[in-house]
Formats: sequence, structure tokens, C-alpha cells
Amino acid sequence: MEIIKRKDRKDAHPYIPELKELYQKGRVTRREFLRNATLLGMSAAAAYAFISPFAPKKAMAAAMPKRGGTWKCGMSLQLIDHPARLSWTEGANVVRQVSEYLSDTGPDNITRPWLCEKWVASEDLKTWDLYIRKGVKFNDGQVMTADDVIFTMNEWLNKDVGSSMLGLLSYWGGPQNIEKVDDYHIRLHLVSPNIGVPEHLWHYPGVILPRNFEGDFIKQPVGTGPFILEEFAEGERAVLKARKDYWKMGEDGQPLPYLDKVMYISMSADAGLAAFQSGQTDVHYHPRPSDYLALKDNPMAKILTVDSSYCYPIRMRVDLPPWDDNRVRTALKLCQDRKKTLQLAAYGLGKLAIDAHISPAHPAYCEKPIPAYNPKKAKELLQAYASEKGLKLPLKVKLATKNDEAEPEIAQTLKQTALAGGFDIKLDITEAGGYWDRWTEVDLGITSWTHRSIATMVLPLAYTKESIGAWNETRWYDDEFSALLKDAEAQLDVEKRRSIMCKLEDIMQERGPIALSYWVQIMEIVNKRVHGMEAHPTHMHTTLRSTWLDG
Amino acid sequence: MVRFLVRSVVSTIITILLVSIGLFVLIEVGSGDISVKILGVFSTPEQRASYRAQLGLNAPTWQRYLDWLVGNDWRAKSRMTYPLITLKNPKTKEVEWWADVDGQATRWKMDKGELKRLVRKEDGFSKVMPAESDWIKGEGTEEFFWGVDNRNNAVKFVKGSGEEVWVLTKAGLRKQGDGPREYIPLRKGLIRGDAGLSWQYNRPVSMILKPRVRNTLVLAGVAFVVVMPLALFFGILAGINEGKLLDRIISITSLGATSTPEFVTGIFLILIFGIWLKVLPAVTMFTSSNAIFENPMMLALPVMTLTAVELGYVARMTRASMVEVMDSAYIRTAIVKGMPYWRVVFRHAIRNALMAPITIIMLHVNWLIGGVVVVEVIFGYPGLGKFIFDSAIFGDFSAIEAAAMVTVLIAIITRLIGDLAYTLLNPRVRYA
Repeated sequence: MEIIKRKDRKDAHPYIPELKELYQKGRVTRREFLRNATLLGMSAAAAYAFISPFAPKKAMAAAMPKRGGTWKCGMSLQLIDHPARLSWTEGANVVRQVSEYLSDTGPDNITRPWLCEKWVASEDLKTWDLYIRKGVKFNDGQVMTADDVIFTMNEWLNKDVGSSMLGLLSYWGGPQNIEKVDDYHIRLHLVSPNIGVPEHLWHYPGVILPRNFEGDFIKQPVGTGPFILEEFAEGERAVLKARKDYWKMGEDGQPLPYLDKVMYISMSADAGLAAFQSGQTDVHYHPRPSDYLALKDNPMAKILTVDSSYCYPIRMRVDLPPWDDNRVRTALKLCQDRKKTLQLAAYGLGKLAIDAHISPAHPAYCEKPIPAYNPKKAKELLQAYASEKGLKLPLKVKLATKNDEAEPEIAQTLKQTALAGGFDIKLDITEAGGYWDRWTEVDLGITSWTHRSIATMVLPLAYTKESIGAWNETRWYDDEFSALLKDAEAQLDVEKRRSIMCKLEDIMQERGPIALSYWVQIMEIVNKRVHGMEAHPTHMHTTLRSTWLDG
Repeated sequence: MVRFLVRSVVSTIITILLVSIGLFVLIEVGSGDISVKILGVFSTPEQRASYRAQLGLNAPTWQRYLDWLVGNDWRAKSRMTYPLITLKNPKTKEVEWWADVDGQATRWKMDKGELKRLVRKEDGFSKVMPAESDWIKGEGTEEFFWGVDNRNNAVKFVKGSGEEVWVLTKAGLRKQGDGPREYIPLRKGLIRGDAGLSWQYNRPVSMILKPRVRNTLVLAGVAFVVVMPLALFFGILAGINEGKLLDRIISITSLGATSTPEFVTGIFLILIFGIWLKVLPAVTMFTSSNAIFENPMMLALPVMTLTAVELGYVARMTRASMVEVMDSAYIRTAIVKGMPYWRVVFRHAIRNALMAPITIIMLHVNWLIGGVVVVEVIFGYPGLGKFIFDSAIFGDFSAIEAAAMVTVLIAIITRLIGDLAYTLLNPRVRYA
């Protein structure tokens, strides 16, 4: 490891050598190493070089990117005002082409420096040094310096702006803890240690704004990004034009982007499908499973996928009978035929899950065997419960859910497979609004949960005592679980974090409130002529700057 | 003729009023709590109540209807210290309400218990000035002030007793202290040209409606110009060839086209011309707001779909009418006396045979304007039908009312044109 040692600098985080050692001993995976090392300030190139020192530099692309062309995508468009107030992916997809973030979390879930050249965290993770990239210009000609970054951070932390960054960055302790060291160097003094700083800087409202920003992005679309906003008509279209003096160079030595124009056009899902099939658009945004079926054999379509932690847990309210009895909960978990569910609900696209809200897409996931379908054991458990309560099998229960995603298929499958286990499930499926009106109230339901990049972001939301009354739809909490969760949030050591995750997963499987069959695979369907695009677990279009069209 | 026109105008106004009342009642009864739709299902009852107050929904039903029809600035005026004025925002071009304080456009807010003036600058932004002297003594020790807030409401502030209000921002609902006690959402009313605010888009209805109406008129206009001559031509052709092969072919084809629903026709046309042959744009993509003029080819498939549906109706009606006329005694007489056949058809038959189809045609104009939702959805065409549909689902009161007014107006105008066409075709029909 001679090469690496030379690259080590004194400002690198002291945990990095240990991380390297763990990786060499095979105790952290390749991905975990990359992720944690980059978060701690090691450059992604150095991290990749470390894990494969002798591998050739990224195989040459088959073809040199071509320049020019208009990239079109059908996607709904709503009102945008202050980027710090963005609350939906579609708006962020437009804004992120014009403005950029300090960091960049790639489709591989690894966070790299972006407008920040690099960051350095102190040993206790409470002081973070951010070094701002030099020579980056906004599209109105101003040079970006620490002043712009600090102005933007103040906007995030300003109550009157109302950004969701405010809650996320509560551990920053307010604007007074941001120190300007010089024009290209900012130091954050955190109130409590957090390894997630670089990841949070990529939260989608966090684009860097010019210091004279007045609050309306449509009127003042000034950013450092590769595109300029030419037109934005909510509910109709967004037109973005390439900028000539973008700071990052393409493979041909000229400034990115390769595309001349990017166009988002608002249209319904069905019209979007037809537009894609006829070649009028290049990307079919957010495909439904039925769209996948329609397009999977289409010779002009290319399907990009990535694993995510998006899921549909079947959740049981532990404060109501019969779900207050763990035997009944366990019986329902045993009644899942996961393979069949995945096949019927998602055409086999996705990863089988255990009954815990911790995904293999999360770092420090602890690998567990997928439980088998076992209606016999389920029936035994139910029988014991029923005879105790003086009930007769099959146990009649009602499963509520919504119909806008894969839930009806999951519910139908469970109804069939649980029959042998002694459940008689009645389905209560309504349109999405109808379910969202009562999702925390129904005793048995299927709720969709969106992708979150780390498990410690989702578990406190739904499985702690404090979250009852908010998003804890099952009313389940467990003292041991909560204590372990607190440990995990503050744990830097990957291996130790994983051993905590192992326990958390065990507890949820053993006595937890959810049954979970699979993790959704996020899919992006693009025209074959589109190159350089990748699917991202958040559904964001993060790589348009280096996307190009062939033909 | 003049009397006929006056009568038409009067009946138009009455019809519009009745339609607007009818719709108002339907929305009132039919749609649930609008605040839930705006704020989302995760909002709390307290938040919804605060928001309903801001929308002025606590006023009685009749008053809200009157506000919409004739406006409520006169109601607010009587309570306010300063006169109300309207100004255009230089950037958004939306009309804003301000109060005129000695020639300066002003709004107010309460900040930490103190009343502040927001005085408008040239660029449309405003600067904050103290305004503690604006308080007015009320009953007892209460001090209050009626002013305009920055969301176009006339509001009542009460000193030392700011309401906790929930304000909707892009980041969701946020609680603010120092809110007003009462709200009157200012509007001029429909009869003074203000169609109100769309709750769904939070913009003036007139601004969103205009491009929709234009798009629809273009689509309906093109479809009309294509369909009607064709339909009349085939109808007459079939009518004068009754029972012959040509008649059979025309009749069966038009019956088939008409009885196929437009969503089937539309999808087949997309599959054939858009996806398989790739010769016509499959859907109407508005890559700019004038896309229908820049790239008129994208109207081809929607117009073909509408043609397939419409053609049959009108052609069959014309055929039947033509057959009937051709059977009548005066036509037989004309033929028997040796008049050339084409002259009989054109001079005598057609004029009488067109009476019935014209009624159908005029009714269908209205269907083309507001009822082609299915076609608009299939082709992603941003027209009026889809707008009405979405507004109705949302319960967006001002938007539905305004859109309905447009369709009623068009219905009445087409009826008028139809009536005039009758008089031209048949001199016996005269309107006194």
C-alpha cells in the first residue's frame, strides 16, 4: 500500500487508516469502505484507488461523447419559488440543472465533493472544514466564494424561509456556528457530532445561491450549474439551455454539458408513455410496473435500474387486538410468500426483504437469511392464540391500503398465501387520498415508505416512542431497540454499527410490527440514443451534465 | 331582428346566472373540505380552520356567492381607514390590492405586536415602516386596524392580540404569531371582470384559463373546419344515392367510426401513426407556449380522432334528412318537369335538407369546446375540458365557475349562429 500511504495527508480523518485496515481484513465491504471514507473526506478517486490499486483506470468508453441535441422528458411541473423550500423531486430536477450542491451523492450512493473541493472532519466529528472550489462562476458572471455559500446556509437556517434543511441541520446549532476562515474556506462548529454532513449538503433544497438572491428562483435563476433556465411555465414546461462557460470539462476537453437543451414537458403518465414510444421524448419519467411491461421489449428502450430502500411494509398496530399479540404478528410474517409477491407485484424487479425496515441499500446492513413461506407454523401460532381467546380459525382481519402503486397486488397475494396460515383477509383498497386520510389509524395496512439513504434516518421516524402521534403508524416501540438505535446514530465504527444493525434487525424480525416482502428497484427507462444517464435511488436526474445523445 | 337580439342577450344573462348558481350549489354540496385538498391529508384540524378563515370560507354561502359575482371590496372599504386600490405586479402581471395612503400604495403586517406599514416601491417590492399611529380605538380598551395584508386580503389586526395563524409555504404549513383576526379575501367580482383566484394553482383564474381557452378554440376550430364539410358532403352523397353501393359504404363506415369510442380510435391512431409508422407526433407536446402554431402537425392525430367520432353523426343526420327531402313531392315535381338533376339537388333539396344537421352541428360545437376531455387526456392536450375536469375534482370553485361561464357563453353564441343560419336557409323562418 505504498501508493496510498503517500497520498495520505495529515488533514485526513484519523479513522481512515483504521477503515482501510478493516477493509483489508474483509470486515467492511467495498461499498461501505467507499462510502465512509468519502464522507470522512478521502477523495473518491483515492478511495477507489485504494480498493483496486492495480485495476486499470476505468475502461475507455466505447465512443466519445457527442455534442448537441435536445433531451426531452415528460414530467409534471409545479410551482417553484425559493430553492431552499423545494419539497418535491420534479422541481429539484429542474433546479439542479441550473444550480449545484456542495457535495454530490452518486447513483452508487457514494458522496463526493462537488462545489466543495474537499472537506475535513475533526476526530470528534464536531468540526468540519469545507474548502470551496475556486474559479467557479455563476451564470451571471459572479465568482462563487465562501460568501455565497454562507449566504445560502443562512437561508437554510432562516426560519422565515421555511426550508426543510432547517430541521435536517438542527445539529448545526444555528448560523452563528458557521465560520468564514477565508474566501474559500468555511468551518462548521457542530453542536453534536454527525458523520452525515456531506450527505445532508446534498439534500435537494440545498443548492448554492448567489449572495444577492432575493427569493424567487424563476425570476432570478442564477446558479453555477451547466444549464441556464430559459423558460419555466408551471404545469406546462421547463426549458434549459446549455451554458458555455461551465467549470467542469467533458471528456473531449471542452466545458460540459454535451447537450444543447434540456426540456421537461408536463404531461400525464399515459400521454408520456405514448410520447416515449413514438420517440418524442427521451426519458419515461417514473415508470409504473405496467409501463415496464409495455416497454421492456421495445427495441428503442434502455432500462436503467438501481436498488433502493423504497418499500411497502404491511404494518400492524400493536395497540389493537389481534396484533397486540406477537404470535399473531409472527404468523402473518410467516404467511408471506416473498418470491411470489415480488413476482406478482413488481415482475421480479427488486430485492427480497426480511421483516425489518433496514435495507441492503443502507450502509452497515447486516445480511440475514430470507425467511421462508411457512403457513403450517403460522397456523400453529394462530391456533394457540385463538384457543386462548376462545376464537375460531380462520381469523378474520381487514387489510387496508391504497391503489396507486403496487399495494393491491401485494394485498391480493397476501390474501391468497395467508389463507393456508389461518387468516381470512378482507381487502379494503381505496384511492391514495382515502388511505392517506387514515394511514396511521387502520389496524392493518400497507403503507409505502420512500427511499432514505441511511437506516438511522427512517427508524426514528416510525419505530420509537417519541414518534407516536406523528409517523409511528404501528404504535410499536421497544426500549432495547430505542437504546440500540441511539448507539447506532453516534457510532462511527462501521463494524460496530453493523453489529448494532444485526441486533436491530433481529428485534424487528422477532417482535417488530411490520411484515416486508421486498425492496423496490428504482427504474429509469430511456431511449437507446441517450448515453451517460444513470438511475438514482431518489429518482433525481443527477447526471444530465454528462449525458449525451447519439443520433 | 333587434328585438330578437335583445331577447337573446337577456336570456343569455339569465342562463349564465342560473348556471353559476347551480354550479355553486353543486360544489357546495358535492366537494368536501377544500382546505384538506390544499393543505394535504396530514394537516391538523387547527391548521385547516386557520386556512379556511384565510380563504374567507367562514362567511355564509350567499355572501360568498355574491362576493364572487359582484366583489367584496365595497364591503371591505366601509371598514377600512384608507381607500383600496389595485395595481399590477410588474413581474407577474397579476393584480394586487393595496391601500392608498396619501398617494403611496401600502400594506400592513404585525410584527412582534407592533403594526408595520409595507410601502410599495417602484419595482413592486416594499419597504417596512412603523405604523403604530394607525391603531384605531374600538370598544373598551380594544385597539384595532383594518388594512390590507400581503396576500390580497382585507384584514383586521387587533392590538396586543395577534392570532396564531398557519400560513402555507412551499415547505408546508408554518405557524406565525401576530396574525389578523378577520379576513376578507378581496376581489372585484365576475361582473367587473375578475374571475377570482384559483385555489388549485394559487393564481388568478383568468391567467390560467386564457391559454387553455385558446388551445381549445384552435383544436375545436380545426376539427370543425375539417369535419363539417366532409360530413355534409358524404351525407348528401349518400342521401342522393340511397340504397346504392356508395350509400352502403358511406353509411357503414360512418356508423363504425362513430360507434367506436374516441379513446379507442385515439389510441389506435397513436399506435399506427405515432409509434409504428412514426410519421405524425403521437402526443401534443407543448415545447413552447405557441407550439400548436409552430408545429401544427401535432394537431393531426387529435383532429383525426375527433373527425372519426363526429363525421358519422353529422353525415348520417344529413343523409336521413336528404333522403326525406328527395322523397318529397316538390322534388319529384321538379325532376318530372325535366329540370337537370344537379340543379334539383343544389337549388331545392340541399337548402331544406340542411336544417336538421345544423342543429346537430351547433350542439356539437359545444361538445368540441368543453367535452373532449378524453381526447385531451389521450394526447396530453392542455385544453379547457381537462381544466374543467381537474378543477371539479379539486373543488376549485372560481376555476370551475369561470370555465363554465366560457362554455355557456359559447353555447349561446353557437345557438345564435344556428338560428341565423336557419333564417338564411329557409326564408319562412323569421324571428320577430
